[in-house]
Amino acid sequence: MLKYSVLIFFLLCRMAPLYCLEQDSSVSIKLYHSLTGVKEPNFTERSTITIHSLRSGQAIVDQKPLSQQDKIQLQKLAINNEFYQIKAVATAADGSKQEFISTLKACMLAEAELDERLSVSLDYTGRVIGITSVVASKGTCEGSSVPLSKFKDFTTNVYVRHSETGPIPDTATYIQKLEREREARERGDTKDNRSFIAKYWMYIVPVVIVMLISSASNPEAGGGN
Amino acid sequence: MANIRSICIITINLTLLSCLSHALYEDQVGKFDWKKSYVGKVKFAEFDARKLVVGTEENVVAALSSKTGNVLWRQVMEDPSEQNIELLKIEKDIITVSGNENLWTVRSWDVGTGNLITEWIISVDKVVLYKFDVKDNNLYVVAHDGSMLNVRVFDVQTGLVKSSLQIPFVATNNQCILVQTYYACLVHNVVNYVQLKDNSKVSTIPLQSSENAKISTYKSVTPAIIITTSSVNSEIVFFNGDNHQKHITPVMPNAIGVIDSGTPLIFQLEGTKNPSNLLIKSTIVTNGEELTREFEYPHGLGKPELAAAQCIDHVCNLLLSSADNALLLVRFPEAKVMWTREEALSKIVATEFLELPVSELDASIENEFKGGNVISMFLHRITTQCRQLSNLVFGSQFLANTGLVRDDFGLHKIIVVATKSGKLFGIDTLTGSLAWTYRLPNVKPFKMLDSEKMLLFVQRTARYAPLPAQCTLLAEDSITGNGIIIQFDPITGYSEKSIIRLNYKIRQALLLPNDDENHVKPLVVYSDKGDAFIYPESANTAIATHASHTYLYTVDVNKNTLNGHNLYREGENIKTTLSWTVNLGPSKLVALSAKSPIERVHSQGRVLPDRSVYYKYVNPNLLAVATIADDPIHKNVLSIYLIDGVTGFVAYSTSHKRAKGPIHLVHSENWLVYSFFSERFRRTEVVAAELYEGSTQSNSTVFSSLAISQLPHVETSSYILPAFPLTLAVSLTERGITNKFLFFALNNGVVEIPWLLLQPRFANVACGPEESCIPYMPEVPLPNEAYINYNQTLERIQGIAVAPARLESTSHVLVYGLDLFYTRVAPSKTFDLLKEDFDHILIILVLVGLVIVSFITKYFASQKMLKQAWK
Repeated sequence: MLKYSVLIFFLLCRMAPLYCLEQDSSVSIKLYHSLTGVKEPNFTERSTITIHSLRSGQAIVDQKPLSQQDKIQLQKLAINNEFYQIKAVATAADGSKQEFISTLKACMLAEAELDERLSVSLDYTGRVIGITSVVASKGTCEGSSVPLSKFKDFTTNVYVRHSETGPIPDTATYIQKLEREREARERGDTKDNRSFIAKYWMYIVPVVIVMLISSASNPEAGGGN
Repeated sequence: MANIRSICIITINLTLLSCLSHALYEDQVGKFDWKKSYVGKVKFAEFDARKLVVGTEENVVAALSSKTGNVLWRQVMEDPSEQNIELLKIEKDIITVSGNENLWTVRSWDVGTGNLITEWIISVDKVVLYKFDVKDNNLYVVAHDGSMLNVRVFDVQTGLVKSSLQIPFVATNNQCILVQTYYACLVHNVVNYVQLKDNSKVSTIPLQSSENAKISTYKSVTPAIIITTSSVNSEIVFFNGDNHQKHITPVMPNAIGVIDSGTPLIFQLEGTKNPSNLLIKSTIVTNGEELTREFEYPHGLGKPELAAAQCIDHVCNLLLSSADNALLLVRFPEAKVMWTREEALSKIVATEFLELPVSELDASIENEFKGGNVISMFLHRITTQCRQLSNLVFGSQFLANTGLVRDDFGLHKIIVVATKSGKLFGIDTLTGSLAWTYRLPNVKPFKMLDSEKMLLFVQRTARYAPLPAQCTLLAEDSITGNGIIIQFDPITGYSEKSIIRLNYKIRQALLLPNDDENHVKPLVVYSDKGDAFIYPESANTAIATHASHTYLYTVDVNKNTLNGHNLYREGENIKTTLSWTVNLGPSKLVALSAKSPIERVHSQGRVLPDRSVYYKYVNPNLLAVATIADDPIHKNVLSIYLIDGVTGFVAYSTSHKRAKGPIHLVHSENWLVYSFFSERFRRTEVVAAELYEGSTQSNSTVFSSLAISQLPHVETSSYILPAFPLTLAVSLTERGITNKFLFFALNNGVVEIPWLLLQPRFANVACGPEESCIPYMPEVPLPNEAYINYNQTLERIQGIAVAPARLESTSHVLVYGLDLFYTRVAPSKTFDLLKEDFDHILIILVLVGLVIVSFITKYFASQKMLKQAWK
């Protein structure tokens, strides 16, 4: 079993070599949402998300069911083209807490039938720097009326987004390339034992063409006279 | 065959490279560029023959011509944030002492050429207040620790200690001065002084009134001090041996001494009843005989002070230094201002390029068809046409005189510049001359990350004649720290409402993209308490519909957080609410860059060799943020984030280990370029990151940050920059068709580097001349031809301002720092302009000739036809 988990970890690292965190840790996120607009936000608990391993990014989402009252409020927000706001409280493995706010258009959320993506961005140490709720959509809306039957429960897909390792100047391949070019040139210099015509055909052909044209036009001119 | 092909490729590469780096022909020098040199706010000034030698707060030593005020030579010493000039004296050579609290450099310079002659260092362990002065080739260094004076006398040329002595002297050392060999301190209600020699005794000068008293050096050949007891009253005390002697009459605090043909004179400045005039008073020290002259002080300059004086045969040159860092040379007794220098321009904190208004004639043609009914329209047309006729005959009055009229290509613009001292300037791009100045008293710039900035917004351009253009400047009140706002016409420098001091601190400001009914773009100012204000207030209703689409971000440097805010209207007020947060936590925010709001992206994608299009991720709301974190293993870690300003979504993040500042960011179109110093390899690295959507475009009509259908795909590549960049900028053209140039400000000038050289190459796509792709080279070449300032050195560059011309190929570039350099760049060469040496006469002659010949042949042909018809 241990062997397998090591192998899986190795594979993960192989698959995403750029994103490997130096230390894996867990984070738990408590989501609150405001169904009263952004002017006077009133946050109520929505769901709890637990990410056991930031490396793998696997998240367990525990949604609290939406009440009828909540659904009506959401529908109203969508009709009035107001904003739906979430507050995320992230608790890291060491117990430190951070609060994040994210806002999205209620009508877009309604049109997507409460299907949202939660982007959890990490810095290079694996600390959460931002939590944003996003609706996958190709366009925005300016208020829309969605029937209540479409509001079921939130579907949350959590994306843990790591910081990439920055590139460094690729000098090795460049030197190799130069090396190869130099070799090719050296080889080219020694190998150039082609015939005279093969070497200088591009100078000979135009001369021949010019001669041909002039000889072709001369008799005609003579005939005209 | 392969050989020929490789030769072909090499030559094509070479031509591509040579095409990409532009250089100037010798006869083009100064044709469309200009350079102005500055020295900074004057701290020390001394005349020497026909030269004026100055030492400035920019840690610069320079010689100015006392005839014209031009810089004869200039030597730039260490960075003024670390070291300052403490002494400048002309003995045989110029002696300067500059440094910080425990390390000073003593240098001597040749007066004629400015060459460095000697240089040596004084290093001390004890950090107390040090005073320096030079007398007879001896440098006196006095360390005063409250009870004892430790005096060391150095030979100025060699740096050897000639003697050192200790003199007991009890005084708090903040009100002390060293004048030649006398050390004087203000202690309660007396001035104690001592001569720096063995066994000298402390003497005392009693004062009448001691409140707010100050002592300062009296600039003259003989050692003397000025004791100032009030703003208009002070007295000169001359030292002689162990004694002192007071001058008979009281003088102004800024009195200055000079010797004219053996007679010692005192010069002072006084105000007059006429506020625009000043009085110069010269007094002969020995008999008190006075000579006064009144002169008109140039309009728009701050309060003057006498900085230096020189008299040759009863003709005196007085150097005046004003509160707004200007320098004036006044000739006495003619009382004539010989020249002025605006040294405020050495510290620019905001720039903006503005288009000039059309000439009155063009404006009247544009307005000709405006009007209501038929009769009024008819009358309007008749009057405007009459005016046009009179303009044609007599010429228009104002704008034509100043020459500030729009040209066809938008090459003639006005640069509005705000300086640290609170002075605004309008600079003509063609000549570099100052079109106008405007002084704002008690104003300072905002502190933003590491730099000092004022916010300058163009609310209305000059396009809407007869309405004048309108600019707004936001800055900080230097006394209260609250915000100030001033609206002005950028073409004339006229401000109707003058300066308005606000009763809140400014945290953020943004210009809304939509005009109100007067074509003014409303300005939203966000206060530190979270309230939003709108300027002009009349625009409040006009933005009603746009308020809910408007987002702004704020940066908290102390907490290292970024917050997004959403505007909404409640009744008559604009309110904000928090809409997103990003917490960068223990990392320190070091740089932030947003895209230029006027930038246009012409091409939506990149064409691949298989003729498919790879679409760019062009998000105008993207912010680039750089942070540096202390890390126990990797020392410093640089992180770069691209954050959407509307939703707070982190679109991309990357990190570099063992990297340190200074970090420079440039953000344009779909790409980001940043530079940092890699401690691992001990070199500067430049990284280019480009964002793509992929082979399908998520939304081809309107971009919305709220709708994300696919995450941007990022291509990166990294380069070595064999230099140390001071700042970074990118070219900007009218429609974004022209290739982009990056400008790297290095310590001797600005290098232009084509974006094509840095653009990340796709790993699986062939890169060759067919695709106009230059193969990857890890080192960024910095050829000499790529310096836009050619052989002119630009010192201490602080920023590069770029603006588009109306000609698509051309951008305006202003490089500012200690020098001001303006030029035009054409990254794709001037493809929309005929060459300067284009032969107009020849082509006209050829055309005329062809027309004539065709007519003649036509005539002959018809003749021939006629003859043939008759046969």
